Amino acid sequence: MEAKSPGASTPCRKPVLSGSARKLKDNAADWHNFVMKWDRLNDEGSTIANQIVNLKLSKEAVKEADIAEDGGQTAITQRTGSASAAAAELEDRCSALVVILEKMAHLVSKMEKLASSTKGVCELQEFQQERTGVCAPLFHTWPVTHFDEVSSRLLRSYTEELALKEVIVGEIAHTCRSDLALVYLSCWLYQPYLEQSSTVQLESLLLETGHRPL
Amino acid sequence: MSKPALMSLHQALKRSFHSLEQNHKVWNSVLEECVPLMGSLGNLAEQLLALNGVQMASTPLARFSDLQDRLRCKLLVAVDTILDKLADKMCSLQKVRDAVGNQVTAAFQVYEQHADTLDLTTCLQRSAAAPSVADMLEWLQDAERYYRQQYLRRKALLQALKPGELSDLQNAHRRWEALATPEREDSVSDTLFRVSFFMDSP
Repeated sequence: MEAKSPGASTPCRKPVLSGSARKLKDNAADWHNFVMKWDRLNDEGSTIANQIVNLKLSKEAVKEADIAEDGGQTAITQRTGSASAAAAELEDRCSALVVILEKMAHLVSKMEKLASSTKGVCELQEFQQERTGVCAPLFHTWPVTHFDEVSSRLLRSYTEELALKEVIVGEIAHTCRSDLALVYLSCWLYQPYLEQSSTVQLESLLLETGHRPL
Repeated sequence: MSKPALMSLHQALKRSFHSLEQNHKVWNSVLEECVPLMGSLGNLAEQLLALNGVQMASTPLARFSDLQDRLRCKLLVAVDTILDKLADKMCSLQKVRDAVGNQVTAAFQVYEQHADTLDLTTCLQRSAAAPSVADMLEWLQDAERYYRQQYLRRKALLQALKPGELSDLQNAHRRWEALATPEREDSVSDTLFRVSFFMDSP
């Protein structure tokens, strides 16, 4: 039993973390930061998506008014001027949303690296445990495999959410139906693929690794 | 001699009006905080209605098979959160109603204690600085009734809301605004103006 590292099985905080524990703790902090960044981007994107829908719907309203009112040549030319300004603004807002989406995609690719690094650490740890026969939790209670499960689940949610956002960005400026536009907006804001349990899991990850005080 | 009796009744009335002034401010600020919440509720109902009206299979979102259920769940959770916040606001309104009610009861108790020594002329007598005791007691009762009725109506409206009945939810903010009785609200403010000299007098 010489492999039993001192203090590994005791619940009290170790002064210096071993390699794997250090890495998992850093990964947990990275998860937290990425999720915060994602939330910020989501808020910014939501504002832009709202602007796009408002511009699009008001453009439709102007078009209908033009059809309804056939006479008055000057009125129509004036409207065409304002319509092209609105089109330019719509274009500008759409590009802004694409930039947000690109940032989110970049974030998800970082999450992928994070998840694969967590998986690697967990496999290494498992391998060592099999060799030595010692199966002590690295922090408080979680078995090593649990870190991998949580990070893979988080990655799955964010990947799916990104796929949904890609569709929304592609379609939001092309729909003339106000109800569908509203569904796009609520999808963007409420992020249906990020479940309440992801937040709980992330919080428990932070708690387990000691980022949050117990 | 009714002088000491009148003095103690005046003190009780002053306490009641000071409390009324404080609580009136709290009441109005809580009601103001409810307005954006009611607006969000209508907004969420609109989003839920839009979601029900869209056939996901015929939209670009078709490949997300469980999207409709997931989004509905998220929206309903958001509705619940708003309703919880509104319930908290109702608690604050209830506190105002109870505080005013208690103060008014206290003033009436003092009056009843001294009712034998206070003759009708004393009760109806008024001066430049102080309205008559009878008027002031009546105004307090009016104010108490205003909070009681408003609280009950608003509480009943919120209790009747069900997350499944979307059109109700959508119109809730309009019905909420329609419950306001500005003339009664103004009469509370008027009362406070009328007794301002009396309240500041030693």
